[in-house]
Amino acid sequence: MIVFDQVGKRYRSWQGREVRALEDFSLEIAPGEVFGLAGPNGAGKSTLISLLLGFLGPSTGMLQIDGLAPRRYVERHGVSYLSELVNIPPTWRVTSALRRYAILAGLPSHEVHARVESMLETLGLEEHRSKRVRQLSKGNLQRLGLAQALLGEERVIVLDEPTHGLDPVWTQRFRDVLDQLRRPDRVILIASHNLDELARLADRVAIIDRGRLQRVVDVRANERTVTEGAPYRIVVASCDTRVGDVFPGAREVASGEFEVRALSLEDINAGLVRLMQSGALVRAVYPVHSPLEQQFREAVGVQVSAGREESR
Amino acid sequence: MSRTMSTSPQVTRTELSARTTARLGGYALWQIRDYLMDRGAPTVLVGALFGYMVSGPMMGAMNMRLERLSPTALAQMGGYETVRASMVTELTSTALELLLGNLVFLGALFAMNGIVANDRKLGYYRFLFSKPLAPERYYGQAFVLHWAGFLGTITMLGLVYQALVGPVLTTRLYAAVALLYLCYAGIAFALSAAARWDWLSLVAVTVASNYAWGRFGETRSALAGLLYLFPPIHRTGEVYSAVSKGTTLPWSLLAWFAAYGAASFVIGLVVLRVRRLAIV
Repeated sequence: MIVFDQVGKRYRSWQGREVRALEDFSLEIAPGEVFGLAGPNGAGKSTLISLLLGFLGPSTGMLQIDGLAPRRYVERHGVSYLSELVNIPPTWRVTSALRRYAILAGLPSHEVHARVESMLETLGLEEHRSKRVRQLSKGNLQRLGLAQALLGEERVIVLDEPTHGLDPVWTQRFRDVLDQLRRPDRVILIASHNLDELARLADRVAIIDRGRLQRVVDVRANERTVTEGAPYRIVVASCDTRVGDVFPGAREVASGEFEVRALSLEDINAGLVRLMQSGALVRAVYPVHSPLEQQFREAVGVQVSAGREESR
Repeated sequence: MSRTMSTSPQVTRTELSARTTARLGGYALWQIRDYLMDRGAPTVLVGALFGYMVSGPMMGAMNMRLERLSPTALAQMGGYETVRASMVTELTSTALELLLGNLVFLGALFAMNGIVANDRKLGYYRFLFSKPLAPERYYGQAFVLHWAGFLGTITMLGLVYQALVGPVLTTRLYAAVALLYLCYAGIAFALSAAARWDWLSLVAVTVASNYAWGRFGETRSALAGLLYLFPPIHRTGEVYSAVSKGTTLPWSLLAWFAAYGAASFVIGLVVLRVRRLAIV
């Protein structure tokens, strides 16, 4: 459904310096997928989304949605889009903003009212319906952005940092909404810094760094793999002095909480058996980084030095 | 719900070709509302202020002249109503000559200020044009509606003037105002589609045109032909003078204004079609 074929995007800065925002980017996203985009700041995620919506044109390569150039596709079918910055004229009122976007989304006039009301309810904006956009809090503005994106029944949904500014309740509600949006003929693309969020929501995640696709992670398959040497955290309720004996090199990061670098899943299990046999009560064992985060760290070369994390 | 791709049924071409289109006609009411609230109201305010500043003292002077005329003199001149009507005609002619140029220029400036550029600068284009909507259609419609809106504000100002002073709205006035507005607004539209500082660009084009035509308009050099790239803004006075004096409108000149504005508008539409909306 969405094809990036060796897509590149170069800008020229006002000083005449060439900036390569995206290079040789190839990827295919199939209908039915929830696809994640992850990458550090400036990695090229926003450029990629602008290309996908036809707001920018590629410098090299080819990009198509359903066999059409992006701008052409958007003008024919529309795309449900939530941008990272929710830009809506500040003097518009919540309800009127949604009505306007509903008309532009092509909703028949007799459906506009019901659809807007439904979105106001779904996204908890009823009590803010008559407020002007400038009066909304960051979280409410984000929900309004999401509401305008979901007014239509588009087959391509692009959400850039969708949970940015949402409180935990609305973050959870957003996940529920997203689950309802899954459809076999629909592509949902989510760009986020929040890897846990992507791990929960996406089927596959593309990791981008410095304008290049570093790797595509199959989230479900990845959950079942254990990366060699990935650090684990062990929390013990008693006999914490034994942890160092069983796991040489274990570092105490908090009272009763140790970080160990395992060689394999077998080594961790064997160590835990010895620890419990020595009388320790283990309260929790979990990987320091989720499998996706581990992949991300490897892909973008995040280094851990002296307790401080540094991105390359 | 399935989280794998393998279970997704293939979507047929028939479903894919289903097309959605923005209801631009339905959106026209919002665009005209935006014009009236954000641009028409300031135009009316500025127009009313200018009108008051120009016509107020003249009205005072006219009334004073009327009061000083003796009943005999009034009777000799055809009576109070006749004399007043003649004075009002004179006043209106002067007021129009002084006001109309500024009003049309400012009206176009207000109506077109940031019409495209602001949406690009402030990022409003993102939500607008993720909808099934072509920018040139959206802004093309806005241009036409703003034009109609401007003529509406001129009507409103004219009616106020008519109520306080005397008749002013004529077909000739509408024709002249509409075509001169088209010239300024067309240029402003093209500049807004192409540049960020559109209002400044319009002022620059106006000043540069006046200067270029004034400085080189009489030369016989082959390069003088290049002057025709500039709008004939140096000749707007001829139109306003014809409107205010009630003489025949210079239709060929008005056609030049209209053609220049229409061509600029089309250039603006082409720019919108070809140019990408994101600012990098």
